[in-house]
Amino acid sequence: MTDATPGTRLRAAVADDAMLLREGIGKVLADGGVDVVASVGSGEELVAAVEAGGIDVAVLDIRMPPKFRDEGIVALESLRASGSKIGVLLLSMYATPEYAMRALDAGAGTGYLLKERVSEPHTLVAAVTTVSRGGSVVDPEVVAQLMNRPRADGPLSTLTARELSVLEAMAQGNSNAGISRQLFLGVKTVETHVRNIMQKLGLDDSPDNHRRVLAVLAYLGSR
Amino acid sequence: MTSIAADPTPPDVRVAPPARLGAGRWAAWLLLIAGGPALNLFMQVLGWEATPPLDRPEVSYVALHCAVPFVFAFSAFVGLQLGERRLPIVLMIAFSYLWIPQTFFAVVAYFGYVWPILRSIDLLWALLLGMIALAYPRGRYVGRVDWTVVGIGVGVSVVRAVFVLIADKTENRDCLCVGNAYALVGDQSTFTTVDLIYRIFGAVIVLFIATRLMWRWSRGSQPTRSVAFVMPIGLFAWTAALIAEAVSYGLHSSAKGSFVVAITGDGAVAVVSLFAVASVPVCYIAGSVHLRNTRGRVADLMVITREGADRTAWRDELARVLRDPSVEVYWWDERSGGYHDDQGEPVEVDLDGAEATRTLLPIAGTGGAPIAVIRHDRALVENERLLDGVSAALRLSVDNGQLRGEVERTLAQVRESRQRIVEAGDEARKRLERDLHDGSQQQLVALAMELRTLVSAARSEGAHDVAARLEEALSRLSTALKELRELARGIHPTVLVEGGLALALPELASRCPVPTEVETSVDARPSELVEATVYFVASECLANIARHSGATRAWMTLGCAGENLLLTVRDNGHGGASLDAGTGIRGLVDRVEALGGELELASPAGQGTTIRVMLPALSTIGA
Repeated sequence: MTDATPGTRLRAAVADDAMLLREGIGKVLADGGVDVVASVGSGEELVAAVEAGGIDVAVLDIRMPPKFRDEGIVALESLRASGSKIGVLLLSMYATPEYAMRALDAGAGTGYLLKERVSEPHTLVAAVTTVSRGGSVVDPEVVAQLMNRPRADGPLSTLTARELSVLEAMAQGNSNAGISRQLFLGVKTVETHVRNIMQKLGLDDSPDNHRRVLAVLAYLGSR
Repeated sequence: MTSIAADPTPPDVRVAPPARLGAGRWAAWLLLIAGGPALNLFMQVLGWEATPPLDRPEVSYVALHCAVPFVFAFSAFVGLQLGERRLPIVLMIAFSYLWIPQTFFAVVAYFGYVWPILRSIDLLWALLLGMIALAYPRGRYVGRVDWTVVGIGVGVSVVRAVFVLIADKTENRDCLCVGNAYALVGDQSTFTTVDLIYRIFGAVIVLFIATRLMWRWSRGSQPTRSVAFVMPIGLFAWTAALIAEAVSYGLHSSAKGSFVVAITGDGAVAVVSLFAVASVPVCYIAGSVHLRNTRGRVADLMVITREGADRTAWRDELARVLRDPSVEVYWWDERSGGYHDDQGEPVEVDLDGAEATRTLLPIAGTGGAPIAVIRHDRALVENERLLDGVSAALRLSVDNGQLRGEVERTLAQVRESRQRIVEAGDEARKRLERDLHDGSQQQLVALAMELRTLVSAARSEGAHDVAARLEEALSRLSTALKELRELARGIHPTVLVEGGLALALPELASRCPVPTEVETSVDARPSELVEATVYFVASECLANIARHSGATRAWMTLGCAGENLLLTVRDNGHGGASLDAGTGIRGLVDRVEALGGELELASPAGQGTTIRVMLPALSTIGA
């Protein structure tokens, strides 16, 4: 499922307890070429819908009934626990790095976006596509928070401005190709920057994009 | 001798302690006390000088005779110092003065209108001695029997004094006296008979008093024995002496009618008599000191009172203090309007009903409300100051208990209401955030989506102007959303609700301009209120660190200490923070204490600031 055949439309399930947003998200996805095959109001219903099959990607609010706490993440963790590898995009009204990390920790094919990104159709659709292919997405706002964390002088301060931009793009879940597109750099250049960054920060460069994102986020999250 | 049961119980055994004496009054008392023996000594010497050498008694006897008023005066002095009642003290002092008339007959024997007066009053000391014994141990007369005995004693003494004055003649006396100027009636034998009857009568009264005390002692319960202590011994000695003296006097006067013997008595008997007489005030004071010691045990009750003992312990201690194992305490129960024993069983208490050997002592609080009734051995009434102390201790104990209960209740109420206030505030913030989240924020996001649709529509229709302005509106909306997000997060951080302190504290620290290391090691999540309080405290601490401390690093740890949650926030700033300095730490203390926690602040100048917060975290919700 993670490799949707090009040409076939993605089938998505949307979970949000606010009807207005649920329908809005559905509309944005539909306009972006994604079929919304299930639209539910809680995490449990979403899990049930996914287990029923025929769904490639799920878009779900974090805060839903019954407790309005972290039902979205719980649903994600429950899906991953049962072996599902579908793409899951979490939406939240708040940009919380700790949540983003917890979400990504659950496994590859996971994204965390601010809810207001639904007003940027291509961002939302791109994120849905990325996670459905096993990629990772982290909201720029979250990454910005992590990058701007006050910290004691460390390896981060030895990074050049360009390297910082590359690091930020890495943290958002971009692959090297994605970074080269975002920063208008050649892929080779990006690879060099990435190698330098990982070396300076003392991180293992992993060919697995998901693991790279996790490592970078963990580095930024720690002090 | 049913006088014990017949004794009416004094309605109120509480006694006002004697007023403290001022310096002037002390001097007056001392003068009065010292005057008796001094005058005695002086008159005794005069009398000795005036008595023809052949008629003089032995020097040792005179010395003893002279010592008796000293003993009384000294006893009075000790009694005064001990704060004894005035009656026995006055009686003792009066005794020392009434002892004088016996000492100097020889001096006035030539004055026919003086010596009969001395003779008429020369035995009044015996009346006083009886009255002193009768007043023991209460220091006053209580009940019909006491007053009857006093009345008879005074009456007989007055009759005897008048009779002596008008009937004592000297014809048959071996005496150098001149005639009695007041002599009106009778001959010497009539006088002697009446005098003898008086002496026997006196002996009977004293015997009665002594027997009464002894009877109580022997028949009475343990408390009785402790009350009627020593005195009867002295009294019996004196009675024996009196009888012996009366017999000897009778023999002498019928045979020889010796004036001197009449005054001084006969050898050994007279000496014993003097000792017996002197023993009465000594016994009185000794017994009184003994009672005082038993009163001292009331202090033990006070210790119990302080420790807030239960009712059974109170009864047991009372039994020990009163030496009355059968003592019962019945406690007033406001709800049922009756008395209960210490097991809580209702008890019928008839305060007006009389029992043969038991007395009920009702104890009321300051407002007159009944507190308890002590059912004790009747004999304890004698020791009214002891009971007074017991009443006071009981009253104190109950007052103490009530006050403590009230304070504890109030404190509990205040604690609860303080916690409710904190809870309500927390709840209000949470509701506000929820309203923002579910209301305005959702609406604005939906509005943003709507605007985006409009942008697309405008573009597709070629209205690029409109599209650009809509884009502008969208970006302003995005800013508004961001601000709203920050506002909502400040009101109540959702990360706290959703992820608990383990997530919220690092998130909080990440916003602090001073680099802060966070370490959390808490498995289960405490209650929301505790979480909110920890978060609030941590947030304030970090804000203080950023604003006031001048620190370049900070450390925050959250862990468990037993069943408590322990938060420590430390920085490397310049220290010197205090609870009063208006840094908002006072508010933290209030919040922490509202949940029954503690906040410690250590901020030595130049060594950074450490705040430790301990919060009881018993109530946990699912981790």
